[in-house]
Amino acid sequence: MSRPLVLASVALLALAGLAPIVWMLMRLESGDVSGIFDARTLTLLGRTSWIGAGAAGIAFVLGLPFGFLVARTDIPGARTLRHAGLVPMLVPPVLLSMTWSVVFTELRGPTAIILVLGISTFPLVAVFSARAFERIDARREEAALLVGGLRSVLAMELPLVLPAAASAACLAFVLAINDFAVPDYMTSIGSKVNVYADEVFASWQSVHSPGKAVAAALPLLVLTLVVLLPALALRRRGSLATWDGDFRRPGALALGSWRWPLFALAFALVAFAAALPIGRLVWEAGGGARGWNFAGFQAAFARAIEVGRADLQRSLLYASSAALISLVPGLVLGHALQRSRASAWLEPLVLAPLAVPAILFGIGYIALWNHPATTTMYSSGFLVVLLFLGRFACFPIFAGAGATATFDPHLEEAARLAHAGPARRLVSIVRPALQSSLFGGAALVFIFGMRELDAAILVPAANGTAMFRVYNAIHFGRDDFVAALALLIVFFILLPGILWSAFGRERWEVAA
Amino acid sequence: MKATPILRVLSLLLGLAATGCAKEPDLIVYCSLDQEFAEPLIQRFEKETGLAVHAEFDIEAAKTVGLVARIREESKNPRCDVFWNNEVAHTVALASDGLLESYDSPSAKEIPAGFRDPGGHWTGFAARARILIVNTALADPKTITSMWDLVDPKWAGKAVMAKPLTGTTLTHMAALYSVLGEAKAAEYVTRIEQLSMTGAVSLTNGNASVARLVGDGKMAFGWTDTDDFAVAKERGAPVVAVYPDADGCGTLLLPNAIAILKGAPHLAAAKRFEDWVLRPEIEKELAFSRSAQIPVRDSVPRPDGMLSGRQFKVMAIDYGTLGAELEKRAELLKKLFLQ
Repeated sequence: MSRPLVLASVALLALAGLAPIVWMLMRLESGDVSGIFDARTLTLLGRTSWIGAGAAGIAFVLGLPFGFLVARTDIPGARTLRHAGLVPMLVPPVLLSMTWSVVFTELRGPTAIILVLGISTFPLVAVFSARAFERIDARREEAALLVGGLRSVLAMELPLVLPAAASAACLAFVLAINDFAVPDYMTSIGSKVNVYADEVFASWQSVHSPGKAVAAALPLLVLTLVVLLPALALRRRGSLATWDGDFRRPGALALGSWRWPLFALAFALVAFAAALPIGRLVWEAGGGARGWNFAGFQAAFARAIEVGRADLQRSLLYASSAALISLVPGLVLGHALQRSRASAWLEPLVLAPLAVPAILFGIGYIALWNHPATTTMYSSGFLVVLLFLGRFACFPIFAGAGATATFDPHLEEAARLAHAGPARRLVSIVRPALQSSLFGGAALVFIFGMRELDAAILVPAANGTAMFRVYNAIHFGRDDFVAALALLIVFFILLPGILWSAFGRERWEVAA
Repeated sequence: MKATPILRVLSLLLGLAATGCAKEPDLIVYCSLDQEFAEPLIQRFEKETGLAVHAEFDIEAAKTVGLVARIREESKNPRCDVFWNNEVAHTVALASDGLLESYDSPSAKEIPAGFRDPGGHWTGFAARARILIVNTALADPKTITSMWDLVDPKWAGKAVMAKPLTGTTLTHMAALYSVLGEAKAAEYVTRIEQLSMTGAVSLTNGNASVARLVGDGKMAFGWTDTDDFAVAKERGAPVVAVYPDADGCGTLLLPNAIAILKGAPHLAAAKRFEDWVLRPEIEKELAFSRSAQIPVRDSVPRPDGMLSGRQFKVMAIDYGTLGAELEKRAELLKKLFLQ
């Protein structure tokens, strides 16, 4: 390990991800924490946990078999289904709510909330599971096939894949419990369902006791960490259990007579979770209930491009910059997490920026950066890049750690004996092996950066992003314009994946 | 370590990001009036004055909280010059915390005193009214005349309002405490909360959703703002606006409020902008826009059918008191409605 590189990466993480949190925590006074647990907030927390668990359960039940089908079997169009299955994660969950509540008019209440959040997060489980299924050595699988066919293969593989799938389900839980837009929207009619994230947002109205607003965020932070830390342990188990030194990549499993029925199931899931929302947006962009026509569709896109061009450019610039920069801590800290003894304290620190509620993170950025000496920086797009990096760097870092776990340490040792320095070993020996996983993690930084709103809304330059423009237009903008702009955002989020899939030498993968 | 292609791209993008917003504007405006309406006006101001304005907007989902939180956080090193709020309560709260500059704009002379801060810290113009939007296919507007109809059991499952934790709905409920008194207002909000638990009154995420639900015929009527009503009407929904409680507390009027921040970096330009926005022409333009803001000056022309404050009973509210009590009311309503 290169100590200067590790220290530089830790410093970058501290600046971008931890300093705003520490800054906010310093506002806490002794009396602020006392009132955060009462019967009301505990009820909210209990309900939030229950919704999170339901959403994670759905994500798990859908994602695990979907990941297996698209990554390891011979179902028709597996590659296309695999990419299309990512769409629900790319579309803001509240847009999914709007679509499904229009199509299924009776869909509302707690069940609807769980369903929407579960479907919007199932791609996480699918991606992690797919990757874990691909890590199972072909020789093990051949042995299982010889012994008892596909049933034996699944019996052998499931215990190996479950840790990765469960850790992704934990991530789904975290995303679900921090969302308040979906519960709000899905209970717009009928009995109201409130969640703890509402409490966090509403607490910021208490302007004269800022410590209380920070304190209100703590239970959600604790709940998030309580779930994420076991997820990390599961991730480690998963990555170490399924990858051997002289790995042989497994081939596609023949499903026989199950091939078409299972294809139909996977297709139905993609149609419901991905094609329906996109189809709905296409319908809206072309005129929707007023009558769809292609000329209207073109006009909506022309207007969306005209009005939103600069916003889209900025969104792409900020999100791709953050994604590219994140490769550096991803490589350095990902490697350090796996190889050093510091991982026990480093892991929670890496996770903390993702675990804190978005509004607390955003206000932390204002408090930290709005000073006379940093005024230029505060107003610039650099701060948006830094915010995206700080909040989402955990993805490439853990992807890097997962990939390092599969990398034979003897190769690094051999390079060391050949007098290669730590930095050179990291860049020349380790990096090539981690590259695809790091790109997968960086892709997540890009995706979440493109759709980020809650924290970014508080940073000046984020005012000019495409997601901001969409949410601004939802109120008064025409439906066709909003739909066209949302479609453009989804297209640009998907674009790197499409390009990578079309021209990349290796598949776009996320190490689980 | 050799510079890899990735590092080269990184440095290029970093450079771009750092320089992207480096141009210093002549004026910075934080604006919670919808971007669609405010942006063309600001661009016209730029054209007419030659000043470069950097405007930042709020989104509907943030209900002004985003910009207000920023103004408070930035108060030690102010960045914003002018805060153009599409409602008044948060601006009053900022004024009472000493975060606003005093300025009596000459353009505000004709604006009634009730819409101006006596200390000159903010000026109100172009108001929205809190009305009941009624779907005529589902309810006879003549039978809905009062705020109490919302909690009448005969409308169970057909009445709707936004969750009163942010935005104009919070301001509205907070105002009721002033005009009805503690006990009566508490009775009203408590009944709404109890009915929302059974679904007899639905609580949405905002006033636009209320207008959409009523316009689409999913609900018979509900509280919303006149600008949201105007959008529903424009979409062709069979809706009418009821200005309630003509015999009671009246209808709440919530003006836009413009204010200059204390320590504004571009004070002269800020005053020029405030003068420009407060002209009757701008109020007229906002009245004829899709957001249908009601001019507070009787002399300003308005579209046919748009009522003036003389044609309905306006809730007698002291905006100063309302703003001062907003935080206390918000905390109370949070405890009641977030369960």
